[in-house]
Amino acid sequence: MTDAVGDQPAASTPSDVRLTLEEIVQEYPHADGSGVLRVLDGISLDLHKPAINMLLGPSGCGKSTLMRMMGGVRAAGIKVPTSGRIWIDGQPCDGAHDDAVMVFQAYTNRPDLSVRENVAFPFELELWKRRVPDAHEREQRVDAMLAAVGLADKAHHRPAQLSGGQNQRVALARALVLRPRILLLDEPFGALDAQTRTEMQQLLVELWRAWPCLIVFVTHDVTEALLIGDRVIVLSTQPARVADDFTVSEPRPRSVAWQRSTEASQIEERILTKLHERGGAGQVRVTV
Amino acid sequence: MVLLVWSVTSGLGLVGEAKLPTPWATARAFLRLAWDPERGESLLLTATMWSTGRVAAAFVLVVSVGIPIGVLMGASSLVNGLLSPLVDPFRSAPVVALLPIFVMWLGIGEGMKVAFLFTGAVVYLIPLTRDAMQAVPRAYWEGARDLGATPFEAVLHTVLPLAKPRIADGVIVSTSIMWTYITVAEYVNAKEGLGQVIQNARRFSAMDQVFVGIFVIIALALLTHFIMTTLKRRLYPWETD
Repeated sequence: MTDAVGDQPAASTPSDVRLTLEEIVQEYPHADGSGVLRVLDGISLDLHKPAINMLLGPSGCGKSTLMRMMGGVRAAGIKVPTSGRIWIDGQPCDGAHDDAVMVFQAYTNRPDLSVRENVAFPFELELWKRRVPDAHEREQRVDAMLAAVGLADKAHHRPAQLSGGQNQRVALARALVLRPRILLLDEPFGALDAQTRTEMQQLLVELWRAWPCLIVFVTHDVTEALLIGDRVIVLSTQPARVADDFTVSEPRPRSVAWQRSTEASQIEERILTKLHERGGAGQVRVTV
Repeated sequence: MVLLVWSVTSGLGLVGEAKLPTPWATARAFLRLAWDPERGESLLLTATMWSTGRVAAAFVLVVSVGIPIGVLMGASSLVNGLLSPLVDPFRSAPVVALLPIFVMWLGIGEGMKVAFLFTGAVVYLIPLTRDAMQAVPRAYWEGARDLGATPFEAVLHTVLPLAKPRIADGVIVSTSIMWTYITVAEYVNAKEGLGQVIQNARRFSAMDQVFVGIFVIIALALLTHFIMTTLKRRLYPWETD
């Protein structure tokens, strides 16, 4: 598993990266023109360790807005962010950049391409051809990633012939084949059934061990956050502020026994209390 | 079924043979046109070759002009805004009514015929190609952009490949349209072609031959359609997944 991704020692670990959010505020004008809606209210975060950082918050709290900001995606016709700054390694991140790769809940695997072609797709683009100039290495990376996500035998299938979980494996492989320093995941397993979700969570942890980059994982599932997160950042809702921010030191894989332990339920309790203190709408999910 | 109604109607003399030939007479006319033993040649084959050649020449032009313009219009709202007022009205314009203008501008030779077929079909293919591009879900475009594709790359490597099956549908429709216009194009200065066969036969009130001409055109149109839809299924098997 480990050497599947890191078969070339020189590139087997991502270089360190520091992602800093400084007093991020995001406001949207109301549709009827009466003032503005504040979605994000002064979010400051410093993410610098190669770790799985869970961004946990109720649905509709602006987690995705924040994540897209980190990915450098800017909505047209509006100032993003309204105020505040995002820094990557001390450099202001004001627009598209290629330090981060994103994976979304709705996978956009191309129906006309095979699984392998989907994973290799970024290498069709000039940017990644330049970044990985050796064609042989590109091929090798694609094959290694297919093996790492367990789809080597399905390389020539089309996405329509795969299950939802398998499609999300393709999406993860396509992101990780680029060996990004930052991997941004927006509720990637939200549309999957419980069983598949558990498998995918385990897979993600394995993939991260092989390529320990900085992961920001957006979820509204408390259980998911506790199961795989090194650090859990809890966002309140409307407007979103950092309600809580703590690390989970229990080593992975976290057993069912641990999930039912006093420690885990105390953390869970703490998260829910923090969220209720802040009040507001939106739902979080607890699946255990 | 059609054959039955046709046989009964013509057989009972409900409609005079000058207006509606019997299936038997039509079959005889077909054989006569297919092989003329006195002259030792096949009138029908020659005519078919001429008509097919004209449609083929126009097809190459329609595809090589219509698809790039449609793709540009589908990819850029600016280009679309500029060109759609020029293209869209022609979809409902009577292109046949423009034939005299074509004759005045281009004469009565091959150029005019091919240009007429081209115009009749390209005004359909351009908007159909544009619509095919616009029908590709935006998420694919955004997904490619998120991975670092330039807008040009996102169009070329993502939107265009996904629009291809619907563009192929547009090509199939445009080709059918050309088969309907071929007779009109060949009425002018009729020297050869299936349109000429029909036109000449009409002049001599040989209704059986008119019917032969019509049937051959229908058969060719159906054959082209069949070949193209089969090809499309082969090329884009994922579309039906």
